[in-house]
Amino acid sequence: MSDDNLIIYEEEIERIDSLLTKLLKGAEAKCALLVDKDGHLITRQGFTHSLDTTALAALLAGSFASTKEIARLVGETEFSVLFHQGKKDHIHMTIVGERSILAVIFDDRTTIGMVRLYAKETADELAKVFTTMTDRSARGDRPEVNADFAASAGNKLDDIFKD
Amino acid sequence: MVSINYATREVSCKIVYYGPGLSGKTTNLQYVHQKVPSDTKGKLISLATDADRTLYFDFLPINIGTINGFAAKFQLYTVPGQVYYNATRKLVLRGTDGVVFVADSQPDKMDENIESLNNLKENLAEYGYSFEELPFVIQYNKQDLPGVLSMEDMRKALNPYGWPEFGASATEGFGVFDTLKCILKKVLDKAKSSSDAPQPQPAQGSGPIPTTQAPPQPMPQPQPQMPPQQTVPPPPPIQQPVQQPAYQPAYAPAAQQVQTAPPPPQQQPQYIQPQPQYEREAVPQDQQVRQTSDPQGYRPFPGNTMEDEHRMTVRSQMQTGQVQTQPEQQPHIEQNQQHSTTAPQMAPSLKAADRAEKPKKRSFFKRLFGLK
Repeated sequence: MSDDNLIIYEEEIERIDSLLTKLLKGAEAKCALLVDKDGHLITRQGFTHSLDTTALAALLAGSFASTKEIARLVGETEFSVLFHQGKKDHIHMTIVGERSILAVIFDDRTTIGMVRLYAKETADELAKVFTTMTDRSARGDRPEVNADFAASAGNKLDDIFKD
Repeated sequence: MVSINYATREVSCKIVYYGPGLSGKTTNLQYVHQKVPSDTKGKLISLATDADRTLYFDFLPINIGTINGFAAKFQLYTVPGQVYYNATRKLVLRGTDGVVFVADSQPDKMDENIESLNNLKENLAEYGYSFEELPFVIQYNKQDLPGVLSMEDMRKALNPYGWPEFGASATEGFGVFDTLKCILKKVLDKAKSSSDAPQPQPAQGSGPIPTTQAPPQPMPQPQPQMPPQQTVPPPPPIQQPVQQPAYQPAYAPAAQQVQTAPPPPQQQPQYIQPQPQYEREAVPQDQQVRQTSDPQGYRPFPGNTMEDEHRMTVRSQMQTGQVQTQPEQQPHIEQNQQHSTTAPQMAPSLKAADRAEKPKKRSFFKRLFGLK
């Protein structure tokens, strides 16, 4: 289990952010979120200040997970693209590699076709970045979190969770 | 799966509250949400039915702040406890870093506790987790109610592995934070050890559970009807739609036909060297032409069926009666097989049939000048 940890490095995040920015410019979307399939938010770009991105990430991952089960029931492995249409804002989700989801939130200033086009391109690029990131993690390139991180966190937990 | 983000300096962990229906998982989260300082908690999201039963999951993010330069974030999830929501439970369990099992201490709920625990073990196994590896805490909830089982009885029935355990009342609030603190610390310990050890295989059995291979006696005395190591004996009907075979019947016939068809190497010899007597043995007379022609690559085209029938009749006559045409036909086939495997098999035999059947025409000049 432990070697499955998702480790995200600064260099890769910079590359991912630049790809997301390019996507937002090209597709004229509002914001883009990159979410782990387990519900962790990896990174985000665009106008996300008004959004609860943590909850959004968990719900998007949950939505994708349930859709995957639906796909299995009809004989598919998974649905690689999901689209939620609202009155003003819409969400387009694309699967990235093995374990991530790219969610693009956009409104009527652009079209689903544009978003889909750019999202697919970006997802392919992101998949390459994730491959290098996974390789790096597998090589054991893991900067030290901190030796007494767990002990310090334990003390803080005692402070916070007082009956 | 702990997420360590070196770019944003964050460590993020996922904790799942598991247990039978109405055991108090959501109430645990609600209490935490009420009592935790507002700068620590996020919004409690509950995907529930109209009757306030969890439909998919509850979600509560907790940020305990920056510790040694890293922000420690926890995501608390609950699962729907009802037996028939197993598919959903399994989805929520994906990528979890630690599990809190919330058991109902009421005597008549013990069977449900055991069933849920077995179900948890089964679902974890599907993701490749095991009880020994995963940080695990068990909470005996509803200890404030009258007539509930004692901690000792609960331990005997549910905690053979010696997990950390807490008596609690989620509505009153006692034991809730103790449970949470314990699981968070265990998860952080685990995350730290995995971060320290770059090798893919961490030391086995380094967890706090001493008995890595505890004897398979999860529920000894109080439940004689439950055999040990039983993995949810009556699999509820919900498991069937989840599993692959459930949707197979609709698609299976076609797929199986393809798979069970005779392998091509056995059919190839029939195409290469047609043996009419072998094919003709069990076939009725009227179907014989079509049957014998198929191995030679005959594929009828729509629109010229009468012509085809005629040709095939002639060809079958050749194959059965006119022995002298065989040596002529055979080289054609062999010659064409050297170049191609499919199309030429049809053409030579038809040409041979045409040649054999049609009366020889007079030449152009003989017809022009009326010569015989």
